[in-house]
Amino acid sequence: MRQSDCIAMILAGGQGSRLGALTKTLAKPAVHYGGKYRIIDFALSNCANSGINTVGVLTQYQPLELNTYIGSGQPWDMDRLNGGAFILPPYVKGKSGEWYKGTANAIYQNKQFIDRFDPKRILILSGDHIYKMDYRDMLRQHEQTKAALTIAVIEVPLEDASRYGILSADENKRIYDFAEKPEHPRSTLASMGIYIFDRDVMMNYLSADESDPNSSNDFGHDIIPAMLADGLPVYAYTFSGYWKDVGTIKSLWDANMDIINGSDLDLNDDNWRIYSRHIDLPPQVVSPTAEIRSSAVTEGCSVAGTVENSVLFSGVTVEAGAVVRNSIVMPMSIIRRGACVDHSIISHDADIGEDVVIGCDSPNYPLPPDPLCTDGLSLVGDNVRIRGNVRIGRGTTVVRSIEVYREGEDTLL
Amino acid sequence: MNDTLGIIMTGFGDSALGELTQMRARAALPVCGRYRLIDFTLSNMVNSGITNVGVPTTSHYRSLMDHLGSGKEWDLNRKLYGLFILPPYLSHENGDSCGDIDILNGIMDYLTRSKQKYVLLSGSDAIYNTNYSFLREFHISHNADISVLSTAQASYLSSPHGIQLNCREDGSVREIELGAATFDGARSSMGVYFLEKDLLCRCISRCVSRGFHDFVRDVLLHGTSENRIFSCPYTGYVGHIDSVSSFFRESMKLLDPKVYAEIFNPQAPIYTKVKDQIPTIYGPRAKVKNSIIADGCTINGTVENSIVFRGVEINEGSTVTNSIVMQQSQIQKDVVLDCAVLDKNVIVRHSRRLIGQESYPIVIGKNAVV
Repeated sequence: MRQSDCIAMILAGGQGSRLGALTKTLAKPAVHYGGKYRIIDFALSNCANSGINTVGVLTQYQPLELNTYIGSGQPWDMDRLNGGAFILPPYVKGKSGEWYKGTANAIYQNKQFIDRFDPKRILILSGDHIYKMDYRDMLRQHEQTKAALTIAVIEVPLEDASRYGILSADENKRIYDFAEKPEHPRSTLASMGIYIFDRDVMMNYLSADESDPNSSNDFGHDIIPAMLADGLPVYAYTFSGYWKDVGTIKSLWDANMDIINGSDLDLNDDNWRIYSRHIDLPPQVVSPTAEIRSSAVTEGCSVAGTVENSVLFSGVTVEAGAVVRNSIVMPMSIIRRGACVDHSIISHDADIGEDVVIGCDSPNYPLPPDPLCTDGLSLVGDNVRIRGNVRIGRGTTVVRSIEVYREGEDTLL
Repeated sequence: MNDTLGIIMTGFGDSALGELTQMRARAALPVCGRYRLIDFTLSNMVNSGITNVGVPTTSHYRSLMDHLGSGKEWDLNRKLYGLFILPPYLSHENGDSCGDIDILNGIMDYLTRSKQKYVLLSGSDAIYNTNYSFLREFHISHNADISVLSTAQASYLSSPHGIQLNCREDGSVREIELGAATFDGARSSMGVYFLEKDLLCRCISRCVSRGFHDFVRDVLLHGTSENRIFSCPYTGYVGHIDSVSSFFRESMKLLDPKVYAEIFNPQAPIYTKVKDQIPTIYGPRAKVKNSIIADGCTINGTVENSIVFRGVEINEGSTVTNSIVMQQSQIQKDVVLDCAVLDKNVIVRHSRRLIGQESYPIVIGKNAVV
């Protein structure tokens, strides 16, 4: 094998449990976003646009959807002669096969993969962030500072700081302190979970970490503190711009709304395209009865009802008389005649029956709100079919199909 | 149908489509928001199981080559066969002549080298969705030499460029006339022919040696006695594009949900080049009715009964009705467009008014600034 300069390893095994029903059958990086993307498209497209053609995608939780989605890597231009995109699930090794125990262990278990491409540096990415970044800049800084490890950082508000790995750096950007999710953050510089390691250094620390039975095998908790303790040159690379971790229902909803309302994230940038795997669908059809305002609508959609302040994904149908407001409707779902959807996320392949109401305002709904559905958002899981005169209150998650017909009055759920 | 080789003629010397085909082959004409005309025939072939497709090009083939690329979007990027773009091979013998026979003669090597038994020879001037295997079965069961796909649709029968078939009861062709149909019971050729490859090669060689240039005139018209020519009826919808007005009319027909459903059958998708555009963003003042909209547009004006291609910008206060706006065009504020066809990259500056007639739409050429 020819030696490659840098390969990327994308950690894509996370469940994203705070996304509730949305990640029931798929891992967080495979969650739909922005009408036609999945979250992992950003990491993959950033690699492609940064000229990194060898990418390992480490999967663990519900990998099927990601495996079929990434396939040969062709949509991201990664079906290459040397390198390309590779799915790396955990596998049995002799008698000792095991799951990925932590982020560091996941990389360690793929030592053979890394050895095969023999890179000088390794870029570690997380598959569940939305941002555009040229990794070449970061690589350049890594070379100039002769760092053993470079960590991409972003300024976060102080009140959010305890959700992140928080670090402190001197005026030369050299990091002298790192704390994973600290209760009392000492700075507002947060790690973005993007690391460039010198491969030899990383491998040494990974092996040492493996032999420590008390280690949690995590980059943030174990590897980075160990390197700092040993006085190795660890530098911060400052990123400014749009960066979102869509870990919760609310943040996923917000990130989708950013597309309609405009943000620093320009998805229409000819010099930095975000690629995704497409199902070939015809252009969207807007019927004579349709009304669409302040919304994003994509290929394969058919709209005959009212759509306002919403994002419709590929192949969504909104029938005449149906109303979709302040909502996100994922691929291939259908909102039937007279139905009303407000402040909701409808997962893929869902079927909202005639005159069903989802996310309506009323204090007297019997179902307790789902703790994951904050800010009054409702959630309908994938392949759920709702029929009858049903009204579903705000803050509710529906994961199973419902069919209730009751004479005279609506059923409140 | 992997015993069949597909050949798609891309159109040449087209004056009927005016400015729209001045800089591109007819096959590369943008249609239906995100497609090129050739996508329909090519996808039909792919969906029929044809894996070897040759596309001979004539002049102005850059945009077509750019569109087709390696053929991977049509699943034709194969080790064995796949898509072959065949640029013109100019020599002293064919340099100044131009007829489809000369073009086919130019790809003789490709024809003889391909191992398929049959050839499906087609133009690229129609919007339809079909599976050609019924044509192959018809051809074999009728023991035909040449099977011609035919329709009784009025748009073909009345076309001045029509090829009218006078058939016997059994479907065999008695006589062929060019131009609009003058007799009852006529069926029109859709310009799709199924025949054995060896026969095609023989026909080409004979025409070349006699100085003939035209497949329809010299093989079909004068060949009804030599060859058993059969008309294979096609009953589905087909949108034939051979002039600006038919382009306009057929495009608008896609607004009919029944036609749209037949053309964009999810079981037999029409493939095209993927552009990775973002979804279309509708602004707070957008008012869109009865239209087909592609991805990547920004719409903040009124759009009605229109077809809007990828990446178009329609700004506040503008009204677009009964119009076709192609890729990357920009319509600034307070513009009025009615019955207009805007080619790619057209900029219409604010407060301009462009109003055509349904029977005679205004056409604005590529890259124009109005």
